[in-house]
Amino acid sequence: MVRQVKQKPMNWIEKLYIFEAFRGLYVTLKHALRGVFRYETLPTVPYPEQKPEINHAYRAKHRLMLRPDGSPRCVACQMCATACPAKCIYIEASTSADGRIEKSIQRFDIDHLVCVFCGLCVEACPVDAIRMDTRETSYVHRDRQSFITSMEELMDWDPKDYPEDDFQSQVAPGGKRNKEALDSWGLKVN
Amino acid sequence: MIEIIQSKHWIEWLINIAKFAFAFVPVLFILLLIPLERRGAGFIQDRQGPNRSYFRLPYFGKIRLFGWVHNASDGLKLFFKENYAPHGVNKLLFLLAPAIPFAVVLIAPAVIPWFAPMVFTFGEEVIRISGQNVNTDVGLLLLFAISALSAYGAVLAGWASKSKYSLLGGLRTTAMIISYEVCLGISIMGILLLAGSFRLDQIIAWQDAHVWGVVAQPVAFFCFLIAMIAETGRAPFDVAEGEPELVAGFHTEYGAMQFGLFYMGEYSHIGINSILVSILFFGGYSIPFVSTSTIQSNVGISLGVLAFVFVFAILAFLHLLYRYSRYLKKSSYANKSAILREYSLYKIVGWAAAALLLAAGVISIMYFKPAYTLIDGQAVYGIGVALGTAFIQILVLLAKAVFFCWVWIWIRWTLPRFRYDHVMNLGWKVILNVAIVNLVITAFIVKLIGD
Repeated sequence: MVRQVKQKPMNWIEKLYIFEAFRGLYVTLKHALRGVFRYETLPTVPYPEQKPEINHAYRAKHRLMLRPDGSPRCVACQMCATACPAKCIYIEASTSADGRIEKSIQRFDIDHLVCVFCGLCVEACPVDAIRMDTRETSYVHRDRQSFITSMEELMDWDPKDYPEDDFQSQVAPGGKRNKEALDSWGLKVN
Repeated sequence: MIEIIQSKHWIEWLINIAKFAFAFVPVLFILLLIPLERRGAGFIQDRQGPNRSYFRLPYFGKIRLFGWVHNASDGLKLFFKENYAPHGVNKLLFLLAPAIPFAVVLIAPAVIPWFAPMVFTFGEEVIRISGQNVNTDVGLLLLFAISALSAYGAVLAGWASKSKYSLLGGLRTTAMIISYEVCLGISIMGILLLAGSFRLDQIIAWQDAHVWGVVAQPVAFFCFLIAMIAETGRAPFDVAEGEPELVAGFHTEYGAMQFGLFYMGEYSHIGINSILVSILFFGGYSIPFVSTSTIQSNVGISLGVLAFVFVFAILAFLHLLYRYSRYLKKSSYANKSAILREYSLYKIVGWAAAALLLAAGVISIMYFKPAYTLIDGQAVYGIGVALGTAFIQILVLLAKAVFFCWVWIWIRWTLPRFRYDHVMNLGWKVILNVAIVNLVITAFIVKLIGD
């Protein structure tokens, strides 16, 4: 469908240019004075010293969700690795110790140099085991090998960094909601 | 030789030689203009502008001087880069071209009057010193003639680079400078008719006695301002270096300090033009409703008021600093303690300067009572009064010029670039005609009213 945008024709004052130029000068002057007298209200931040506020919904570095006992929630179903367009997820499965679950992961590597941060792995996961809400946008290493993030690293996150009203997110060792979570899992509370 | 030396008193020689330092004022404008331009552009675009570089002081840590160090180190980098010429250029002309616009800005301010002609008694003698370095009747014409020479820099650079972009850029610059010189010349004719002289100090004297040029000749002021911006080759008329079309125009092939000279030439040119606008249309060194003789007879009070103005500016600056420090303390900046440490230096310097200036102002008001001798029925004061008056007048002129520098920057970051044919149409079909009509009307009125 073609949508035609009708432009309003300029009236003769606007065609003269000079008055519109003065209007533009007024606008830029306001911005310049704001920079001088209200420096702190500038929308940009001096980056390394002050980090910009990043939303939890932003697709940043991955993390693996945990069960209340600290083991990864992942069931090694390979859905994320299949969905991944960049083929950056490598999973090695093993038999799970828990009788109710068939498999658990032995190895779960994400190559962050190959990853395109599309979020399809998060969409694909049937058990909500992988998320991209760490808000970590810049992680720097000296060699390529270090960008391949291991399972341990993906599981190493602090429940305090995540919103408390997210029930699932708090389910981790030391998390506040662990008691309820263990109850809902039917496990004994230690 | 001896007769020449003896023709003037030694103090006259001394002041006349010291006046040569004014040749470097437009060059010193660069130190102010580049930070003003880059941070001003930042603020206008809601950015912070360049402020990263710093030097270290023992207790205060990283001193950034509000971005000034950043610009200085950019200049330093430019200075130490290798001079590079592409294969096939005309070596001599290629090396010569950047020097021309820069040499011009050292010569052009020779006719600018920085203060009203000084008359003072020194010992037994009465000494007269003019406000400009070259005291000549052609005045403004000389200034225009010299600053028009900077077109040669662009032409030679464009030709010697042997690059089509440079050549086109050089051609455009030449065409623009020539067409806008015409507008420039005709638009100031009105004020010259009113003042009846090409001498800049006469023009200022006329404005001092009547009204500012901008009130007497508002149309000419706008024509002059637009022609000035176009002649300097700045946005919105910078078609000569329009990036989408010509890479960088005539200085495409230049790097390092050769490019730096073009850059500095352009900025000094803005400095000269700002001074010229403030002289021709805003009364130059004169202060409205306060004549030179008033300043001289109340020199202590004048200097005191000047000191109080500075104190007020410093206090306003300190207020901003304290307000921002309060914000910083509450913020989550990782380096806020370092910034607060840096600001403590500015606060110390600011308070010290404010206190000193306040004391100087009070002392000046209370104790600077000039003595005078009557010569031909006019009061003539000593050298202290003359120098104090000159100091005030230089500062007034520079303050006006700095405001116009800001206008240049302000316009550059507001208006989009004109198309080349639009620039030429504006120059030849609009501004020139308006300026001629303005000239005819002014001439008619001047003839009607009589002098």
